[in-house]
Amino acid sequence: MTMTTPTASPQREREGAESLRDALAAADRALARIGPILGHLLSAPDQSLFSEEILARVRGMFRDLAWQMLLAQAEAAGQTGRGGFAERHGQALAEHFQASPGLLAHVHALALEWQLASRLEAEIGLDPVLSPLVQELIAHDDPQLASTAMASLAAQARFAQTQRRMELPLAELPADLFHVALTAWRGWNGPGGSDALLRAEAKLRERHDESAGRLALLARLAAGLAADDLRPLAIDEAGTALFLTVLAARSGQARERAVMATNARQMPRLSLALRAAGCSQEIIDGAILRLHPDLAPPASAAQISPAQARGLLAQLPGGENS
Amino acid sequence: MTTLGEQVLARGRTDAEGRLVEADGVLARLHFSCGGEIGSTIAAPELLALVDKALTFGLKLARPFTAVDGQSRITAWVELSPERDADNAIIGCAIAVASWQEEELAAERDAESLRRHHAIHRQLAEATLRLDHRQAILSIATEAADLAEFRARSELAVGTPWTDLVTMEGASHRLPLHWRLLDGSVCTIEGSTRRWTAHLDALGQPEPGSAGFVLTLSADTPLALSNPGAAERDAEGPSFGRDLTPVLRQPVNRIIANAETIRTRLAGPLSEEYSAYAADIATAGQHLLELIDDLTDLEVVESDDFTTAPDRIELADVARRACGILGVRAREKRIVLVPPPEGESQLAIAEFRRVLQILLNLVGNAIRYSPEDSQIWLRLDRIGSRALVTVADQGHGLDAAQQERVFVKFERLGRSGDGGSGLGLYI
Repeated sequence: MTMTTPTASPQREREGAESLRDALAAADRALARIGPILGHLLSAPDQSLFSEEILARVRGMFRDLAWQMLLAQAEAAGQTGRGGFAERHGQALAEHFQASPGLLAHVHALALEWQLASRLEAEIGLDPVLSPLVQELIAHDDPQLASTAMASLAAQARFAQTQRRMELPLAELPADLFHVALTAWRGWNGPGGSDALLRAEAKLRERHDESAGRLALLARLAAGLAADDLRPLAIDEAGTALFLTVLAARSGQARERAVMATNARQMPRLSLALRAAGCSQEIIDGAILRLHPDLAPPASAAQISPAQARGLLAQLPGGENS
Repeated sequence: MTTLGEQVLARGRTDAEGRLVEADGVLARLHFSCGGEIGSTIAAPELLALVDKALTFGLKLARPFTAVDGQSRITAWVELSPERDADNAIIGCAIAVASWQEEELAAERDAESLRRHHAIHRQLAEATLRLDHRQAILSIATEAADLAEFRARSELAVGTPWTDLVTMEGASHRLPLHWRLLDGSVCTIEGSTRRWTAHLDALGQPEPGSAGFVLTLSADTPLALSNPGAAERDAEGPSFGRDLTPVLRQPVNRIIANAETIRTRLAGPLSEEYSAYAADIATAGQHLLELIDDLTDLEVVESDDFTTAPDRIELADVARRACGILGVRAREKRIVLVPPPEGESQLAIAEFRRVLQILLNLVGNAIRYSPEDSQIWLRLDRIGSRALVTVADQGHGLDAAQQERVFVKFERLGRSGDGGSGLGLYI
């Protein structure tokens, strides 16, 4: 094949210059954004909300969600080479999922939770799966509590496994987010979905059982504990997972918010949440010291009542969005 | 319900609308104490929200929920599982409840509960009176129909104690009593068959009541919806013409006006394409306005009380006016409108406005669907005692089947995309 130079008419030239100028302007804008983003990433400490590890985990989980749905779709459509189908479209669907704020917040929180669990394992030797309190609950006199504790332990072990693989099984999504994901999937497939797609969705819906998910089991375990028992609010007793669930439930926040509260920059939220859950200043200081041994604790939260703390948290936008 | 197993304390089932059709144990107790019954919508609000979610999503849910049954705050675990029929349509939702915990409701702090009570009374009150420090009436405001008489009497009795105008139940003391004794008392009011509860909010500091009182009267039952005016308005229902047309006209008119401003470049120079776009917007807006008018006309014609106001009219005059109004549109397509010749006359009995409307619709159609450079004639005729107006054009004729359908509402004879509503001939 020979290269042919297009006849350079003045009109063509002008258009070419226009489009190049536009492209250059777009590139300039991208360059202008480098500074703030890079500055933020460099200045943020390791356990930042946007560390590379977190981003990789979030991407991995979204990709896994997309793959599971695409495999179900390919199966329903009777396609051969399902992996190929998922491979071709996985990235696009994953990006589609990322556009949903609810899903994004959830997946981000899971990544942060796992990061926290790993850090505490390294720092204070806290087992990310089996904590002292859960161990005790498994041996509890109340058989119901014991069996729920057992089930939650199994679920937590699954969670650890999938997190190491940067995966997120569809079955682990709370029903609302599962619905969001299905809706996004349907939207991604465009209007007038095929019968196969509808069948696949109906099947997924029917198969989904929130009660078997880790978060539901933890919530049930938390609901079974006496409301005035403060031990679940000691992270080194309860373990990261149960601590976060109990903190969210007793402070009236979504669990994702409770996870965010463990970030170093969110200490006021953490102390307020602990106060809302009924902790004394001593326990609050202890909890903060466990999580952030190198940081000074924030101003005392004990001067306001738990009810006031609850109100403060609920007033903040996105406080109560579970 | 894979995980609860033997832990289930109570079970229930709802239908597809969230009505509880079966329930036992604590679940039934909670439902009843919240005022529900078998077959009624789930009475505990938080549980209802979860059931709605399970039914809408078609997903199994497992969540904690809280409820208040009057004496205690309940925290429980509930698992919901939508049930489907053979066609996979959701027909209901199974409920399983576990780990039921009751906790005595903490006694509300007095000041707080007092404030809440006052707020509720004010909200529910059907009459509000302002009293001075001696509990004498200063003013009254009420909307309740059965208190109209009471209001009239109160307005005449400004300056006398409110207790003179009502009959206190079981009152034997000389009135007025101390306001605290009257707060919450039950009374009857002449003209109303309902029983009223009076609540007094004392105003002023430091001595409550030194600046007067707000008296609110709340009835034990809401007034039955026998109010004839209200019932009639309800029966009529929302109306496009009455309710929507004025609301729609205003923004549409503004769109047209602004588009015209842009089109005519009143605000400064503008490239040709944008001016053309603005012209399109203006045209589309005009069109929208015409559709709104059509729908309003339709509603008028279809309403039961539609009547015409017959009058002696001159058909030739009406026809000439119609030609005059539509002349510009016809000229745009180089169509010649031929009105009845001068001197021709045909009297008829009809309502001028309606006949003009009909002719405008007919001639408008003729213009729209006639080829360019053609003619449209309006002719007057008379058969026996009936007067006729004929609109004839040179466009496509209609075959017999089309003629049958042409007066049907929304009939467009297969045309679409030209923006007509198909209502003109029907009207």
